[in-house]
Amino acid sequence: MSIQEKVEGYKKTLALFPNPQEKYQYLIEQAKKSEEFPTELRIDEFKVNGCQSQVWLVPEEKDSKLYFKSDSDALIAKGLVTLIASIYSDETPIDIVNSEIDLMEEFELGVILSPARRNGAFSMLKTIREFSQKLAD
Amino acid sequence: MIKVSDLKKDFPIFDREINGKRLTYLDSGATSQKPNSVINEMTNVYTNMNANVHRGTYVLSSETTAKYEEVRNKLKNFINAYSSDEIIFTKGCTEGFNFLANSICKDLNSGDEIILSEIEHHANIIPWQMAAAKYNLKINYVNISESFELDFEHLESLLNKNTKVVSIVGESNISGMLPDIKKINSLVKDKTDAVYIVDGAQLVPHRKIDVQDLGIDFLCVSGHKMLGPTGIGVVWGRKELLENLDPAYGGGDMIEEVFYDTATWAPIPHKFEAGTPPYVEAIGLGAAVDYLSNLDMNSVQKHSDDLREYAKNKLENIDGLNIIHTNSKLAGCTFAMSVDGVHATDVSLMLDTFGVAVRAGHHCVQPFHRKLNLDATFRATGYIYNDEEDFDILSNAIEESIKLLT
Repeated sequence: MSIQEKVEGYKKTLALFPNPQEKYQYLIEQAKKSEEFPTELRIDEFKVNGCQSQVWLVPEEKDSKLYFKSDSDALIAKGLVTLIASIYSDETPIDIVNSEIDLMEEFELGVILSPARRNGAFSMLKTIREFSQKLAD
Repeated sequence: MIKVSDLKKDFPIFDREINGKRLTYLDSGATSQKPNSVINEMTNVYTNMNANVHRGTYVLSSETTAKYEEVRNKLKNFINAYSSDEIIFTKGCTEGFNFLANSICKDLNSGDEIILSEIEHHANIIPWQMAAAKYNLKINYVNISESFELDFEHLESLLNKNTKVVSIVGESNISGMLPDIKKINSLVKDKTDAVYIVDGAQLVPHRKIDVQDLGIDFLCVSGHKMLGPTGIGVVWGRKELLENLDPAYGGGDMIEEVFYDTATWAPIPHKFEAGTPPYVEAIGLGAAVDYLSNLDMNSVQKHSDDLREYAKNKLENIDGLNIIHTNSKLAGCTFAMSVDGVHATDVSLMLDTFGVAVRAGHHCVQPFHRKLNLDATFRATGYIYNDEEDFDILSNAIEESIKLLT
Protein backbone atom coordinates (compact mmCIF):
# COMPACT_ATOMS: atom_id res chain seq x y z
CA MET A 1 0.00 0.00 0.00
CA SER A 2 1.39 3.45 -0.82
CA ILE A 3 1.90 6.20 1.74
CA GLN A 4 -1.01 8.08 0.17
CA GLU A 5 -3.31 5.03 0.43
CA LYS A 6 -2.39 4.44 4.06
CA VAL A 7 -3.04 8.09 4.88
CA GLU A 8 -6.44 7.85 3.13
CA GLY A 9 -7.24 4.74 5.17
CA TYR A 10 -6.47 6.43 8.49
CA LYS A 11 -8.34 9.52 7.37
CA LYS A 12 -11.48 7.40 6.83
CA THR A 13 -11.08 5.69 10.19
CA LEU A 14 -10.50 8.93 12.08
CA ALA A 15 -13.49 10.54 10.38
CA LEU A 16 -15.65 7.96 12.19
CA PHE A 17 -14.86 9.79 15.43
CA PRO A 18 -16.49 13.19 15.35
CA ASN A 19 -14.97 14.72 18.47
CA PRO A 20 -11.36 15.08 19.63
CA GLN A 21 -11.89 12.99 22.73
CA GLU A 22 -12.92 9.96 20.66
CA LYS A 23 -10.03 10.54 18.30
CA TYR A 24 -7.63 10.55 21.26
CA GLN A 25 -9.26 7.35 22.52
CA TYR A 26 -8.62 5.78 19.11
CA LEU A 27 -4.95 6.82 19.33
CA ILE A 28 -4.75 5.42 22.86
CA GLU A 29 -6.10 2.08 21.54
CA GLN A 30 -3.45 2.09 18.81
CA ALA A 31 -0.81 2.75 21.45
CA LYS A 32 -2.02 -0.11 23.62
CA LYS A 33 -2.19 -2.50 20.65
CA SER A 34 1.22 -1.54 19.28
CA GLU A 35 4.17 -3.87 19.06
CA GLU A 36 6.21 -3.95 22.24
CA PHE A 37 9.18 -1.59 22.11
CA PRO A 38 12.43 -2.93 23.59
CA THR A 39 13.29 -0.69 26.56
CA GLU A 40 16.99 -0.82 25.66
CA LEU A 41 16.11 1.23 22.56
CA ARG A 42 14.82 4.09 24.71
CA ILE A 43 18.10 5.92 24.24
CA ASP A 44 19.00 9.46 23.20
CA GLU A 45 20.15 8.32 19.75
CA PHE A 46 16.56 7.45 18.84
CA LYS A 47 14.83 10.25 20.72
CA VAL A 48 12.75 12.67 18.65
CA ASN A 49 13.53 16.23 19.68
CA GLY A 50 10.77 18.79 19.99
CA CYS A 51 8.04 16.64 21.53
CA GLN A 52 6.42 17.56 24.84
CA SER A 53 6.64 13.93 25.91
CA GLN A 54 9.52 11.58 25.17
CA VAL A 55 9.23 9.93 21.76
CA TRP A 56 11.57 7.39 20.21
CA LEU A 57 11.75 6.32 16.56
CA VAL A 58 14.05 3.52 15.48
CA PRO A 59 14.56 3.08 11.74
CA GLU A 60 15.52 -0.24 10.22
CA GLU A 61 16.45 -0.95 6.62
CA LYS A 62 15.45 -4.28 5.08
CA ASP A 63 15.51 -5.15 1.35
CA SER A 64 15.83 -1.47 0.35
CA LYS A 65 12.76 -0.55 2.39
CA LEU A 66 12.45 1.27 5.68
CA TYR A 67 10.64 0.09 8.82
CA PHE A 68 10.11 2.12 11.97
CA LYS A 69 9.73 0.97 15.56
CA SER A 70 8.32 3.64 17.84
CA ASP A 71 7.51 4.43 21.44
CA SER A 72 6.55 7.26 23.78
CA ASP A 73 6.11 7.69 27.50
CA ALA A 74 2.77 9.43 26.82
CA LEU A 75 -0.17 7.44 25.49
CA ILE A 76 -1.64 9.87 22.95
CA ALA A 77 1.81 10.67 21.54
CA LYS A 78 2.52 6.93 21.38
CA GLY A 79 -0.70 6.38 19.43
CA LEU A 80 0.25 9.14 17.02
CA VAL A 81 3.81 7.93 16.49
CA THR A 82 2.50 4.35 16.03
CA LEU A 83 0.25 5.62 13.28
CA ILE A 84 3.03 7.67 11.67
CA ALA A 85 5.46 4.74 11.88
CA SER A 86 2.94 2.45 10.17
CA ILE A 87 2.33 4.97 7.38
CA TYR A 88 6.04 5.23 6.57
CA SER A 89 7.09 1.63 7.22
CA ASP A 90 7.47 -0.82 4.34
CA GLU A 91 8.29 2.10 2.00
CA THR A 92 11.42 3.01 0.08
CA PRO A 93 13.44 6.01 1.26
CA ILE A 94 12.80 7.80 -2.03
CA ASP A 95 9.00 7.37 -1.73
CA ILE A 96 9.16 8.76 1.81
CA VAL A 97 11.24 11.76 0.74
CA ASN A 98 8.90 12.46 -2.16
CA SER A 99 5.71 12.27 -0.10
CA GLU A 100 3.93 15.42 1.01
CA ILE A 101 4.91 16.43 4.53
CA ASP A 102 1.53 17.87 5.44
CA LEU A 103 -0.47 14.81 4.31
CA MET A 104 -1.77 14.19 7.79
CA GLU A 105 -3.21 17.63 8.38
CA GLU A 106 -6.44 16.18 7.01
CA PHE A 107 -6.62 13.82 9.99
CA GLU A 108 -8.16 16.73 11.89
CA LEU A 109 -6.41 15.74 15.07
CA GLY A 110 -6.70 19.27 16.38
CA VAL A 111 -4.03 20.56 18.67
CA ILE A 112 -1.70 17.59 18.35
CA LEU A 113 -1.42 18.01 14.60
CA SER A 114 -1.45 21.77 14.31
CA PRO A 115 1.04 22.82 11.66
CA ALA A 116 3.37 24.56 14.09
CA ARG A 117 6.98 23.76 13.34
CA ARG A 118 7.73 23.25 17.01
CA ASN A 119 5.00 20.66 17.20
CA GLY A 120 5.78 17.06 18.15
CA ALA A 121 4.13 15.48 15.10
CA PHE A 122 6.20 17.72 12.84
CA SER A 123 9.36 16.57 14.64
CA MET A 124 8.37 12.91 14.18
CA LEU A 125 7.87 13.42 10.43
CA LYS A 126 11.08 15.40 10.17
CA THR A 127 13.03 12.57 11.86
CA ILE A 128 11.59 10.01 9.43
CA ARG A 129 12.33 12.20 6.42
CA GLU A 130 15.86 13.04 7.50
CA PHE A 131 16.67 9.38 7.92
CA SER A 132 15.14 8.57 4.53
CA GLN A 133 16.97 11.43 2.89
CA LYS A 134 20.32 10.09 4.14
CA LEU A 135 19.56 6.69 2.59
CA ALA A 136 18.12 8.16 -0.60
CA ASP A 137 21.23 10.29 -1.27
CA MET B 1 -15.75 41.47 46.44
CA ILE B 2 -15.24 40.21 42.91
CA LYS B 3 -18.34 38.92 41.15
CA VAL B 4 -16.89 36.67 38.48
CA SER B 5 -20.04 36.37 36.36
CA ASP B 6 -20.13 40.17 35.91
CA LEU B 7 -16.39 40.57 35.51
CA LYS B 8 -16.19 37.89 32.81
CA LYS B 9 -18.27 40.12 30.53
CA ASP B 10 -15.24 42.42 30.30
CA PHE B 11 -13.17 39.64 28.73
CA PRO B 12 -14.28 38.90 25.16
CA ILE B 13 -12.37 35.60 25.01
CA PHE B 14 -14.98 34.01 27.26
CA ASP B 15 -17.52 34.28 24.44
CA ARG B 16 -15.65 31.42 22.78
CA GLU B 17 -16.55 27.78 23.06
CA ILE B 18 -13.84 25.12 22.98
CA ASN B 19 -14.77 21.71 21.60
CA GLY B 20 -18.42 22.66 22.07
CA LYS B 21 -17.88 23.44 25.77
CA ARG B 22 -17.58 26.65 27.76
CA LEU B 23 -13.99 27.82 28.02
CA THR B 24 -12.49 26.94 31.39
CA TYR B 25 -9.25 28.90 31.24
CA LEU B 26 -6.87 27.86 33.99
CA ASP B 27 -3.54 28.82 32.44
CA SER B 28 -3.19 32.40 33.66
CA GLY B 29 0.15 31.45 35.18
CA ALA B 30 1.38 31.33 31.58
CA THR B 31 -0.55 34.37 30.43
CA SER B 32 -3.71 36.15 31.51
CA GLN B 33 -6.67 36.99 29.31
CA LYS B 34 -7.24 40.64 28.40
CA PRO B 35 -10.18 42.88 29.24
CA ASN B 36 -11.80 45.07 26.59
CA SER B 37 -10.32 48.17 28.21
CA VAL B 38 -6.78 46.96 27.44
CA ILE B 39 -7.61 45.84 23.91
CA ASN B 40 -9.49 49.07 23.16
CA GLU B 41 -6.81 51.31 24.63
CA MET B 42 -4.14 49.78 22.39
CA THR B 43 -6.42 50.08 19.36
CA ASN B 44 -7.08 53.68 20.36
CA VAL B 45 -3.36 54.50 20.35
CA TYR B 46 -2.82 52.95 16.92
CA THR B 47 -6.00 54.52 15.56
CA ASN B 48 -5.81 58.01 16.95
CA MET B 49 -2.40 59.07 18.15
CA ASN B 50 0.36 56.74 17.09
CA ALA B 51 3.80 58.36 16.90
CA ASN B 52 7.17 57.47 18.34
CA VAL B 53 7.68 58.68 21.90
CA HIS B 54 10.19 61.25 23.21
CA ARG B 55 11.18 62.37 19.71
CA GLY B 56 8.55 64.37 17.94
CA THR B 57 7.65 68.00 18.36
CA TYR B 58 4.15 67.48 17.02
CA VAL B 59 0.77 66.73 18.55
CA LEU B 60 0.66 62.98 17.98
CA SER B 61 4.07 62.35 19.48
CA SER B 62 3.47 64.55 22.46
CA GLU B 63 0.12 62.84 23.17
CA THR B 64 1.63 59.36 22.89
CA THR B 65 4.62 60.38 25.03
CA ALA B 66 2.35 61.82 27.71
CA LYS B 67 0.26 58.63 27.78
CA TYR B 68 3.36 56.45 27.90
CA GLU B 69 4.98 58.42 30.72
CA GLU B 70 1.69 58.49 32.62
CA VAL B 71 1.89 54.69 32.87
CA ARG B 72 5.07 55.02 34.92
CA ASN B 73 3.09 57.01 37.43
CA LYS B 74 0.27 54.44 37.46
CA LEU B 75 2.81 51.71 38.18
CA LYS B 76 4.51 53.82 40.83
CA ASN B 77 1.19 54.06 42.65
CA PHE B 78 0.32 50.42 41.98
CA ILE B 79 3.41 49.09 43.80
CA ASN B 80 3.97 52.19 45.96
CA ALA B 81 7.41 53.00 44.55
CA TYR B 82 9.20 56.06 45.92
CA SER B 83 9.31 57.71 42.50
CA SER B 84 8.08 57.08 38.97
CA ASP B 85 11.74 57.32 37.85
CA GLU B 86 12.20 53.93 39.50
CA ILE B 87 9.88 52.26 36.98
CA ILE B 88 11.96 50.80 34.14
CA PHE B 89 10.04 49.36 31.19
CA THR B 90 11.35 46.06 29.82
CA LYS B 91 10.06 43.48 27.34
CA GLY B 92 9.04 41.32 30.29
CA CYS B 93 10.30 39.64 33.43
CA THR B 94 12.89 37.64 31.51
CA GLU B 95 14.50 40.74 30.07
CA GLY B 96 14.31 42.30 33.52
CA PHE B 97 16.40 39.52 35.05
CA ASN B 98 18.87 39.61 32.16
CA PHE B 99 19.29 43.34 32.61
CA LEU B 100 19.76 43.04 36.37
CA ALA B 101 22.14 40.08 36.12
CA ASN B 102 24.27 41.84 33.52
CA SER B 103 24.35 45.21 35.20
CA ILE B 104 24.78 44.06 38.80
CA CYS B 105 27.24 41.20 38.25
CA LYS B 106 29.73 43.18 36.21
CA ASP B 107 30.63 45.18 39.33
CA LEU B 108 31.09 42.07 41.51
CA ASN B 109 34.36 40.36 42.41
CA SER B 110 35.41 36.85 41.55
CA GLY B 111 34.09 34.48 44.23
CA ASP B 112 31.12 36.65 45.19
CA GLU B 113 27.91 34.72 45.74
CA ILE B 114 24.37 34.79 44.39
CA ILE B 115 21.52 33.10 46.22
CA LEU B 116 18.51 31.72 44.36
CA SER B 117 16.01 29.07 45.47
CA GLU B 118 15.49 25.55 44.16
CA ILE B 119 12.06 26.45 42.80
CA GLU B 120 12.99 29.43 40.61
CA HIS B 121 11.70 29.94 37.08
CA HIS B 122 14.44 29.57 34.46
CA ALA B 123 14.24 33.36 33.91
CA ASN B 124 15.61 33.77 37.43
CA ILE B 125 18.30 31.10 36.99
CA ILE B 126 19.84 31.30 33.56
CA PRO B 127 20.76 35.02 33.47
CA TRP B 128 22.60 34.48 36.79
CA GLN B 129 24.29 31.32 35.49
CA MET B 130 25.49 33.27 32.44
CA ALA B 131 26.77 36.14 34.57
CA ALA B 132 28.34 33.74 37.08
CA ALA B 133 30.29 32.02 34.30
CA LYS B 134 31.45 35.37 32.92
CA TYR B 135 32.52 36.93 36.23
CA ASN B 136 33.45 33.76 38.16
CA LEU B 137 30.66 34.02 40.72
CA LYS B 138 29.13 31.25 42.80
CA ILE B 139 25.40 30.41 42.83
CA ASN B 140 23.82 28.79 45.90
CA TYR B 141 20.26 27.47 45.91
CA VAL B 142 18.07 27.64 49.02
CA ASN B 143 16.34 24.31 49.69
CA ILE B 144 12.63 23.94 49.19
CA SER B 145 11.14 21.67 51.87
CA GLU B 146 8.97 18.59 51.28
CA SER B 147 5.90 20.73 51.89
CA PHE B 148 7.13 23.08 49.11
CA GLU B 149 8.15 25.90 51.44
CA LEU B 150 11.34 27.95 51.46
CA ASP B 151 13.79 26.56 54.04
CA PHE B 152 14.66 29.68 56.05
CA GLU B 153 17.29 27.91 58.16
CA HIS B 154 19.08 26.95 54.99
CA LEU B 155 18.78 30.48 53.62
CA GLU B 156 20.27 31.83 56.84
CA SER B 157 23.17 29.37 56.62
CA LEU B 158 23.93 30.47 53.04
CA LEU B 159 24.04 34.20 53.76
CA ASN B 160 27.55 35.50 54.33
CA LYS B 161 29.78 38.50 53.60
CA ASN B 162 30.36 37.27 50.03
CA THR B 163 26.63 37.20 49.24
CA LYS B 164 25.93 40.06 46.85
CA VAL B 165 22.61 39.10 45.27
CA VAL B 166 19.57 37.28 46.64
CA SER B 167 16.93 36.72 43.99
CA ILE B 168 13.90 34.67 44.99
CA VAL B 169 10.43 34.14 43.60
CA GLY B 170 7.63 36.11 45.26
CA GLU B 171 4.90 33.62 44.31
CA SER B 172 5.87 30.25 42.86
CA ASN B 173 4.51 29.45 39.41
CA ILE B 174 4.13 25.78 40.32
CA SER B 175 3.49 25.37 44.04
CA GLY B 176 1.89 28.72 44.81
CA MET B 177 4.52 29.23 47.56
CA LEU B 178 4.46 32.76 48.99
CA PRO B 179 7.71 33.10 50.90
CA ASP B 180 7.72 35.70 53.66
CA ILE B 181 9.34 38.57 51.77
CA LYS B 182 9.82 40.80 54.82
CA LYS B 183 11.51 37.96 56.70
CA ILE B 184 13.87 37.27 53.78
CA ASN B 185 14.57 40.99 53.48
CA SER B 186 15.50 41.39 57.12
CA LEU B 187 17.74 38.29 57.04
CA VAL B 188 19.48 39.59 53.91
CA LYS B 189 19.91 43.09 55.31
CA ASP B 190 21.08 41.85 58.74
CA LYS B 191 23.71 39.47 57.44
CA THR B 192 24.91 40.89 54.12
CA ASP B 193 25.17 43.97 51.99
CA ALA B 194 23.50 42.08 49.13
CA VAL B 195 20.64 43.37 47.04
CA TYR B 196 17.36 41.46 47.36
CA ILE B 197 15.41 40.98 44.13
CA VAL B 198 11.86 39.63 44.11
CA ASP B 199 10.56 37.78 41.05
CA GLY B 200 7.11 39.31 40.88
CA ALA B 201 5.88 37.59 37.70
CA GLN B 202 3.13 35.70 39.55
CA LEU B 203 3.06 37.83 42.69
CA VAL B 204 2.19 41.26 41.31
CA PRO B 205 -0.91 40.12 39.32
CA HIS B 206 -2.44 38.51 42.41
CA ARG B 207 -1.42 40.42 45.53
CA LYS B 208 -1.24 43.95 46.81
CA ILE B 209 2.42 44.96 46.70
CA ASP B 210 3.99 47.84 48.55
CA VAL B 211 7.72 47.90 47.82
CA GLN B 212 8.38 50.52 50.47
CA ASP B 213 6.71 48.43 53.15
CA LEU B 214 8.49 45.25 51.99
CA GLY B 215 11.86 46.99 52.08
CA ILE B 216 13.17 45.09 49.05
CA ASP B 217 15.64 46.43 46.45
CA PHE B 218 14.33 45.27 43.09
CA LEU B 219 11.10 43.78 41.73
CA CYS B 220 10.63 42.21 38.30
CA VAL B 221 7.13 42.42 36.85
CA SER B 222 5.53 40.76 33.82
CA GLY B 223 2.82 42.76 32.03
CA HIS B 224 1.02 39.96 30.21
CA LYS B 225 0.37 37.95 33.37
CA MET B 226 -1.57 40.88 34.89
CA LEU B 227 -4.09 41.53 32.09
CA GLY B 228 -1.62 43.55 30.02
CA PRO B 229 -0.28 42.77 26.57
CA THR B 230 2.79 40.68 25.83
CA GLY B 231 6.14 42.37 25.23
CA ILE B 232 6.01 44.67 28.24
CA GLY B 233 7.29 44.30 31.77
CA VAL B 234 8.79 46.39 34.51
CA VAL B 235 11.84 46.39 36.70
CA TRP B 236 11.37 48.45 39.79
CA GLY B 237 14.51 49.35 41.71
CA ARG B 238 15.48 51.75 44.44
CA LYS B 239 16.51 55.05 42.92
CA GLU B 240 19.98 55.14 44.49
CA LEU B 241 20.70 51.59 43.27
CA LEU B 242 19.47 52.29 39.74
CA GLU B 243 21.51 55.46 39.55
CA ASN B 244 24.67 53.48 40.31
CA LEU B 245 23.97 50.71 37.79
CA ASP B 246 25.29 50.82 34.25
CA PRO B 247 22.81 50.12 31.46
CA ALA B 248 22.83 46.64 29.91
CA TYR B 249 21.75 47.83 26.45
CA GLY B 250 22.93 50.77 24.38
CA GLY B 251 21.15 52.64 21.62
CA GLY B 252 18.81 55.50 20.96
CA ASP B 253 16.98 57.38 23.70
CA MET B 254 19.19 56.23 26.59
CA ILE B 255 21.94 58.79 26.11
CA GLU B 256 22.81 62.26 27.23
CA GLU B 257 25.64 62.90 24.76
CA VAL B 258 27.36 60.72 22.20
CA PHE B 259 30.87 61.15 20.83
CA TYR B 260 32.72 58.94 18.37
CA ASP B 261 34.66 57.30 21.19
CA THR B 262 32.30 57.47 24.14
CA ALA B 263 28.86 58.41 25.41
CA THR B 264 27.16 59.56 28.59
CA TRP B 265 23.87 58.20 29.85
CA ALA B 266 20.52 59.85 30.31
CA PRO B 267 19.19 59.95 33.88
CA ILE B 268 17.03 57.06 35.15
CA PRO B 269 14.70 55.63 33.98
CA HIS B 270 15.64 56.39 30.38
CA LYS B 271 19.25 55.20 30.55
CA PHE B 272 17.90 51.64 30.82
CA GLU B 273 15.46 51.94 27.91
CA ALA B 274 17.50 51.84 24.72
CA GLY B 275 15.70 52.12 21.41
CA THR B 276 12.04 52.67 20.67
CA PRO B 277 10.22 51.29 23.70
CA PRO B 278 7.11 49.12 23.33
CA TYR B 279 5.03 52.20 24.09
CA VAL B 280 1.71 50.82 22.83
CA GLU B 281 2.19 47.77 25.03
CA ALA B 282 3.15 50.01 27.95
CA ILE B 283 -0.04 52.03 27.46
CA GLY B 284 -1.96 48.72 27.33
CA LEU B 285 -0.32 47.77 30.62
CA GLY B 286 -1.47 51.12 32.01
CA ALA B 287 -5.06 50.16 31.16
CA ALA B 288 -4.52 46.79 32.88
CA VAL B 289 -3.23 48.56 35.99
CA ASP B 290 -6.33 50.78 35.94
CA TYR B 291 -8.56 47.71 35.65
CA LEU B 292 -6.88 45.98 38.61
CA SER B 293 -6.81 49.19 40.65
CA ASN B 294 -10.53 49.70 40.05
CA LEU B 295 -11.17 46.19 41.31
CA ASP B 296 -8.87 47.01 44.26
CA MET B 297 -5.87 44.75 44.79
CA ASN B 298 -7.13 43.83 48.27
CA SER B 299 -10.18 42.26 46.58
CA VAL B 300 -8.01 40.60 43.94
CA GLN B 301 -5.87 39.10 46.70
CA LYS B 302 -8.89 37.94 48.68
CA HIS B 303 -10.38 36.37 45.56
CA SER B 304 -7.11 34.49 44.97
CA ASP B 305 -6.99 33.26 48.58
CA ASP B 306 -10.66 32.14 48.61
CA LEU B 307 -10.34 30.41 45.25
CA ARG B 308 -7.11 28.70 46.32
CA GLU B 309 -8.81 27.37 49.45
CA TYR B 310 -11.74 26.00 47.45
CA ALA B 311 -9.54 24.54 44.69
CA LYS B 312 -7.17 22.92 47.19
CA ASN B 313 -10.00 21.08 48.95
CA LYS B 314 -11.54 20.04 45.66
CA LEU B 315 -8.32 18.73 44.10
CA GLU B 316 -7.16 16.99 47.27
CA ASN B 317 -10.25 14.78 47.06
CA ILE B 318 -9.34 13.30 43.69
CA ASP B 319 -8.04 9.73 43.97
CA GLY B 320 -4.65 9.16 42.43
CA LEU B 321 -3.83 12.85 41.98
CA ASN B 322 -0.47 14.08 43.30
CA ILE B 323 -0.44 17.80 44.00
CA ILE B 324 2.63 20.02 44.23
CA HIS B 325 1.21 22.77 46.35
CA THR B 326 2.33 24.60 49.43
CA ASN B 327 0.50 23.53 52.57
CA SER B 328 0.73 26.79 54.45
CA LYS B 329 -2.24 28.98 55.25
CA LEU B 330 -1.50 31.37 52.42
CA ALA B 331 -0.46 30.44 48.89
CA GLY B 332 -1.14 31.40 45.32
CA CYS B 333 -3.96 29.68 43.43
CA THR B 334 -1.50 27.54 41.48
CA PHE B 335 -1.43 23.76 41.45
CA ALA B 336 1.06 21.59 39.59
CA MET B 337 -0.26 18.04 39.43
CA SER B 338 0.66 14.57 38.31
CA VAL B 339 -0.99 11.16 38.12
CA ASP B 340 1.17 8.08 38.67
CA GLY B 341 1.73 6.21 35.42
CA VAL B 342 -0.02 8.84 33.28
CA HIS B 343 1.86 11.45 31.29
CA ALA B 344 1.01 15.08 32.02
CA THR B 345 0.54 15.89 28.32
CA ASP B 346 -2.03 13.08 28.00
CA VAL B 347 -3.99 14.62 30.87
CA SER B 348 -3.77 18.14 29.45
CA LEU B 349 -4.84 16.96 25.96
CA MET B 350 -7.81 15.15 27.52
CA LEU B 351 -8.71 18.16 29.65
CA ASP B 352 -8.73 20.27 26.48
CA THR B 353 -11.51 18.04 25.12
CA PHE B 354 -13.57 19.18 28.13
CA GLY B 355 -12.82 22.83 27.27
CA VAL B 356 -10.31 23.06 30.12
CA ALA B 357 -7.07 24.88 29.31
CA VAL B 358 -4.13 23.89 31.52
CA ARG B 359 -0.44 23.69 30.79
CA ALA B 360 1.70 20.53 30.72
CA GLY B 361 5.46 20.43 30.96
CA HIS B 362 8.07 21.59 33.44
CA HIS B 363 6.73 25.19 33.42
CA CYS B 364 10.29 26.54 33.09
CA VAL B 365 11.13 25.02 36.48
CA GLN B 366 13.01 21.98 35.22
CA PRO B 367 15.62 21.59 37.99
CA PHE B 368 12.89 21.39 40.63
CA HIS B 369 10.90 18.86 38.56
CA ARG B 370 14.10 16.83 38.29
CA LYS B 371 14.51 16.99 42.07
CA LEU B 372 10.99 15.52 42.40
CA ASN B 373 11.79 12.88 39.75
CA LEU B 374 9.10 14.23 37.47
CA ASP B 375 9.50 14.91 33.75
CA ALA B 376 6.38 16.98 33.59
CA THR B 377 3.31 18.06 35.51
CA PHE B 378 0.08 19.67 34.42
CA ARG B 379 -0.73 22.95 36.06
CA ALA B 380 -3.89 24.88 36.84
CA THR B 381 -3.80 28.51 37.90
CA GLY B 382 -6.79 30.61 38.87
CA TYR B 383 -7.19 34.33 38.35
CA ILE B 384 -9.82 37.05 38.80
CA TYR B 385 -12.10 35.66 36.06
CA ASN B 386 -12.10 32.14 37.53
CA ASP B 387 -14.57 30.93 40.09
CA GLU B 388 -15.53 27.80 41.99
CA GLU B 389 -17.35 26.44 38.94
CA ASP B 390 -14.08 26.44 36.97
CA PHE B 391 -12.47 24.22 39.59
CA ASP B 392 -15.56 21.98 39.73
CA ILE B 393 -15.27 21.51 35.97
CA LEU B 394 -11.52 20.93 36.26
CA SER B 395 -11.94 18.34 39.01
CA ASN B 396 -14.61 16.40 37.11
CA ALA B 397 -12.55 16.58 33.92
CA ILE B 398 -9.44 15.31 35.74
CA GLU B 399 -11.42 12.36 37.13
CA GLU B 400 -12.84 11.55 33.69
CA SER B 401 -9.41 11.93 32.07
CA ILE B 402 -7.79 9.57 34.57
CA LYS B 403 -10.49 6.98 33.72
CA LEU B 404 -9.86 7.40 29.99
CA LEU B 405 -6.10 7.19 30.37
CA THR B 406 -5.69 4.23 32.72
